This record gives sequence, structure tokens and C-alpha cells, in this order.
Amino acid sequence: MSTSLRTEEMILNVGPQHPSTHGVFRLVVTLDGEQIIDADPVVGYLHRGTEKLAEGLQYTQIIPYTDRLDYLAAMLNNYALVHTVEYALDLEIPARAEYLRVIVMELNRIASHLLFLGTYLLDLGAMSPFLYVFQERERIVQLFNEICGARLTYNYMRVGGVKWDAPPGWIEKVRDFIPFMREKVKMYDKLISGNEIFLHRVRGIGVITKEDALQYSLSGINLRSTGIAFDLRKNRPYSLYNQFEFDVVTGKNGDCFDRYYLHLEEIRQSLRIVEQAVAQIPEGPVLGKVPKLIRVPAGEYYRSIEGARGELGVYIVSDGKDKPYRLKLRRPSFVNLQILRKLLIGQSMANLIAILGAVDIVLGEVDA
Amino acid sequence: MAEDKQADKVASSETVEKAAPEKTAKAAPAKAAKAPAPPDPRVEQAKQQGEAIKVAIEQKLGAGTVEEVIASKEVPILRIASAKWREAITFLRDDPEQRFDYIELFAGTDYKDYIEVVLYLHAMSRGTYISVKTRTPREQAVLPSLAPVFPGVNWEEREVFDLLGVTFEGHPDLRRIMMWDGWNGHPLRKDYSEFENMPQRGGEPRG
Repeated sequence: MSTSLRTEEMILNVGPQHPSTHGVFRLVVTLDGEQIIDADPVVGYLHRGTEKLAEGLQYTQIIPYTDRLDYLAAMLNNYALVHTVEYALDLEIPARAEYLRVIVMELNRIASHLLFLGTYLLDLGAMSPFLYVFQERERIVQLFNEICGARLTYNYMRVGGVKWDAPPGWIEKVRDFIPFMREKVKMYDKLISGNEIFLHRVRGIGVITKEDALQYSLSGINLRSTGIAFDLRKNRPYSLYNQFEFDVVTGKNGDCFDRYYLHLEEIRQSLRIVEQAVAQIPEGPVLGKVPKLIRVPAGEYYRSIEGARGELGVYIVSDGKDKPYRLKLRRPSFVNLQILRKLLIGQSMANLIAILGAVDIVLGEVDA
Repeated sequence: MAEDKQADKVASSETVEKAAPEKTAKAAPAKAAKAPAPPDPRVEQAKQQGEAIKVAIEQKLGAGTVEEVIASKEVPILRIASAKWREAITFLRDDPEQRFDYIELFAGTDYKDYIEVVLYLHAMSRGTYISVKTRTPREQAVLPSLAPVFPGVNWEEREVFDLLGVTFEGHPDLRRIMMWDGWNGHPLRKDYSEFENMPQRGGEPRG
């Protein structure tokens, strides 16, 4: 046994261009052998200054900028902005518009969670689920394409309603999609959730405690995986969510497996909401009576919604003009990512990707 | 003198509290009859709620800790003296009556005369939320950091430091987060000019 082996810490740069970071994200990891002793996330590579740009734009003009934040769930970003403006103006929204919004938002949540499933498993070395989920996601994206003409950056919602009514037959297509998707979720559950190799990678890894979750202001699935039932759709209902029946699903252990499983479970709940919304949707106008030039009364307003990744909020300071004086976006990915350092320290290098993937970030949103 | 004023405020707030139930009851039918700009009952209620929290804070941390109580729709907004910022937030989190244990929003705004930092606090056990804010002068923008008590504001404070130029005292790791280290100026300040502050060469720190 020789004790003269030289040991030293090694600094490893993960990213900024790394397939598992899903964007431009750099992680400076200090390693002692296989063990991570420090990790310093470096963000900002995708910073476009959305908040600064918004100060020079009218409210309707900001909507396409929100598409580029969390580009996997752009409908939810659209809604977060218009909802805050509508709240500030005390606007009444036509019923059909609200229903259409709920339908597209929940479909978008499903599409976003599907992509999480695919990429997370791809990170862990399972290639096929990635190819599978894109089939279902494609159907949702096609539905969006039909309703607003875009596949990724929708720019669909307006202050007071939505831009376009659903084309003929669209609601029926959504209705047909629900049983199809239910079957697929069942299939994924069977295919992935019991997989021995997968379970070894994710069970008991990256455990978040309740106290940490609150202290780090985590939201969304990261918070609910620890067992705290906090979902803004239930706790502070906006839009029509108090009319629909659905459950807030929580985890028990707060580990990566719980976070994976909650994504699957939330797809099921979203399907329940879409099913009820499609059954109830009334006829009528899709855009309410809104002044041509939207002037938000002076003051400050904050409203938040349950985004695909957590609490997505918009804070507007207005001085009574048609442009915001200050617009702050509460981006769930940015806030959730802070806990990464704490989760990584002490783990082995091989678990890095499993933990980072389960936190589920979108870099467009982290950097804004 | 200042204490007397504070006492007056507390006293007046109590009278508001007593009078308010009748007021809200009257306001509702008035609104239906399209009276010119009736007082928003939500604001009145939120102000009462804010005044109650103010009394609780000042009992613990002394008069003058809460400088102003306003409301935006149903949300009470408390403006806290910057010197007592960290103590007040810690009190709001740890006091068994308050238990505002979850920070929703952390934002900063440049108001040309001063810079304001805003928090939205949520009480998980009760489901209520309030807004607290504090001010700091633009030239010497310094505030006590909340990162030692709320690790979740670490990056948020870095962002405000980076984009608005507020130094947070006691922050464990105060660096720029969105812009790179060589960047000149703070983009979200209202007097920031894109052209004057443009770095000469991309990414190179200025000497």
C-alpha cells in the first residue's frame, strides 16, 4: 500500500455547451476523485435583458418577448403577463376566452412535462423515451399550430382575451387527444417507473427537505415533491381553476424519483382539467372590450400563476402610462436553480446529471 | 416628537379598524349604483391588515420600524426602515402569529430619487400574503442582506446588485450574475445609457 500517491482537487467545467444542461449553462465543479466538493453554477449566457426591453414597450408588445422565456411553455408565460395587466385593470374576460386559455395552458403544461420526461431519461442514458414523447408532443404542437399559427412561440393571448378563436373542429381534436394521451401516460408509467436501472439512478438521490424547500423559495414540482401541497391553481385560484376538479399531487421523499413521478402525475391532472374545460366551453366572443391603448393605472401589481416549472409571476410598476415603469419577472427556473449547489455537494460526479435534470430548468427562463 | 407622531398613527389606525366594517358594507351598494369612484373595499381591508402587522412589528422592534402602510388592491404593503430590514423580515418569518415563511417575489425598482426593494411574503400555513419593501438612496445604495436568513434570495440579491447597483451587506457571494464582471454600470437604472456604457471589447474587463 503506497501512501505516496499524489492527490489533488480537480476543477471541471460542465458546459456552457453541454448536451445535458439543456441550454447554455455552465457549472464549475470541484472534484475530489469522484466526489463533488463544490459546485458553482454560472448563468447569464442567455441574458437578453427582457425586463429592460419591456420598459420601452407597450403591454401588447411585451407578449412576444414572454414567449422566449420558458420556450417550452410559452402559453403560460403569455398568460402570466396578460393576467397581471388584467388584474391591474380589473378587466372582465369573456367566458370562451377563459376556457380557451385554460385548454391551451394545460395542453402546454402537458407538452412541457412530456419533454422533461424525454430529456431527463435521455440524460440518464435511455434513448427511446425521448423518441416516444416527441410523437405525443407533436400532436399538441400541431393543435397549437392550428389555433395560433406557431409551434413554439405562440403570442396567442391578449389583454382581455385571446387573439383567435378555435378553428372549426379544433375542440373535437382536443377531445380526441385526451384518451389517446391517457393511454400513453399509462404506457410510460409501465415502461419507465419500474425500470430497475432507472430506479437505481434516481431513488434517494438529490433529496430536498421541506425546510430547505421553503427557505430556498422553491416552487412547482420541486416544492411539491417534498410533500408541501402548494399549487397556485388551488391555493390562489386564478382564471377558472376553482371550477375544475383536480388534485394537487405531492411526493413523499423529495428525491429525483418523486420529481420524475410528479411530472407524470401532473400530466394526468392536466388531462382531467382539459377534459372538463372541453366539455363546458361556451360559445361567444374571445376578446373583451379593451381600450386600444392599454394604460395601467399608477401603482404596483403582482400576480403569479402556476407555471410548468413553478410559480411564474409578473410584477408591474406603472406610472399610468402605456408602458410599464418597471416589469419584473419571477422566473421559477431561476429561483429553483439556486438549490443545485446544496444538492450537489457530497454527491458523486455521476449523479450530477440526474440531479440537475430533475430540477428541471429552462435556460431561457433562468437568464431572461 | 417622532414617537408622538407614531403613537398618533397607531391610534388613528385603531379608529379606522372600528369604523371599517360599516364602511365596507356601505361601499358595496354604492358601487352598484355607479357612484363616482367609491373607495375600494379591498384596499381598506388590506390597509387594516397591514396596520395590524405594523403594530406587531413595532411592539417587537420599536416604533418607527414601519414607515408607511399602503395597499395595492387586496395586498397590504409595508415600508420598513432600511436599518431594520433583516430584523423585520426575520420577525415576520419566525413570529408564531405571522409565519410568513416563503418569499415569492424579490424585485428592485429605480424610482429616480431612491431605489426600492420589494418582497412578497407568503404564509404557507394560512395562505395569506403581504408585500414589504424598503428604500435606499441611489448614490449610496446599501441594504442589509437577507441571504443569511433566507438562502433563497442569494441569486435574487445578486441580480439586484448586478442590474440596479444595490450592495447587500453580509451577502456571502456578491458578484454580478447576468452581466459579466467587466460590465460598466447597472442596466436597470433609469439613467443608464446603452451607448455610454457599452464595453469597448466584448467580454474584456475594463482596466
